[in-house]
Amino acid sequence: MSSLLALLSKDLLLEWRERARSLSVLLFAVVTLLLFSFALGPDVETLREATPGVLVLALLLSSTLALNESFRLEREDRALEGLVMRPVSLTALFYAKASANALLLTFLGPVVVALAVVFYSLEIDVATMTRLVGLWCLGAAGLAAPGTLYAAMTSRLKSQDVALPLLLFPLVVPVLLASVKAMGLVLTGDAMNQLRSWLTLLLAFDIIYWSVCGLLFRFAVEEGE
Amino acid sequence: MAVWLKGPNGSGKTTLLRMLATLSTPSCGTLEIFGLDVGRQREAIRHGVSLVSHSLYLYPGLTARETLVLWGRLGGVVLEPESVVAALDVVGLADVGDRRVGGFSAGMRKRLALARARIESPRLLLLDEPFSALDDSGCRLVQSWVREFVEQGGTVMLASHDPERATPICDWRVDLAAGQIVGLDRGAGR
Repeated sequence: MSSLLALLSKDLLLEWRERARSLSVLLFAVVTLLLFSFALGPDVETLREATPGVLVLALLLSSTLALNESFRLEREDRALEGLVMRPVSLTALFYAKASANALLLTFLGPVVVALAVVFYSLEIDVATMTRLVGLWCLGAAGLAAPGTLYAAMTSRLKSQDVALPLLLFPLVVPVLLASVKAMGLVLTGDAMNQLRSWLTLLLAFDIIYWSVCGLLFRFAVEEGE
Repeated sequence: MAVWLKGPNGSGKTTLLRMLATLSTPSCGTLEIFGLDVGRQREAIRHGVSLVSHSLYLYPGLTARETLVLWGRLGGVVLEPESVVAALDVVGLADVGDRRVGGFSAGMRKRLALARARIESPRLLLLDEPFSALDDSGCRLVQSWVREFVEQGGTVMLASHDPERATPICDWRVDLAAGQIVGLDRGAGR
């Protein structure tokens, strides 16, 4: 636990010191929202209906940027190899890195959801907004774990920018689907009481990804160094 | 003892050091360090091994002081501020302890990597080209440190192309060529 906290605080400190990187991820998410609003046209109803999908796509696309960047620092001067060489559990290394990535994506949530309310003319109260942000966080957690694993695997490839989304996107379809459905039900009302099922599915995949990816991480970094 | 690994480029010096550092596994045969199998007991071995390599494993965004504290914590050691300053002082970096590593010269980075290896108190110290990027005082520091480490009971394996600096401090010389030991000289330099 001590190693995990040391690694997490290192990642957060480096993230804070390179704030421009986090800001670029946020701007990328905002630009994605804007572009989709232009693509969907001026019809308010269409925009509202598309909001859940657009929010999740903004999260997904910005996550690849954040995940790629998170391992760039580890590859400079082969710092990751140095960490692997320490008597530190590689599982702790994974959970520290995945938690830092999840936190970064989570921090985007309130800003992006607030901007979506403006761009897509949503008429929602604070409670609904809070639930949307909560679902964003669960979606971020579902992307961060497999994203961290794949980012570690692809970080030594020259084509990392292409390889990461190609590997990650198919794997996280259940998380995307559950997030979109749950956000849609939060926005349009849950007449058939389906929200709980989608929420359970989202939580289940979060737990599966965080458990399995934690076990597999050592194979992604150990010999490849 | 201190062992000098000597050989031309591509002879296997770095590969051997990386295997001893548990970063690579042998393609055949077995390798044991401290009586432990490198393939199966890596974590236990890593408590006693330290490597200073071509890549220095430093984060440009951390300060020298933070680098040592992080390294200590990852090894299960909580370093007091005084011991961090002392470790930096030994390598001549005490005045720049709060500066980020990204602004350091190559020699300063090497000195920091050496300070970091020192705080780990390893039993086996692996040095890959330890004299590169260092000025004369830095090289003398490495030489005195290696001898001090050996006198305290540690083992050093050092790969270097600098016979003038490696010979006086090493007890054994191992000549490598194409991945094979082709010569062994005891007391080569001492």
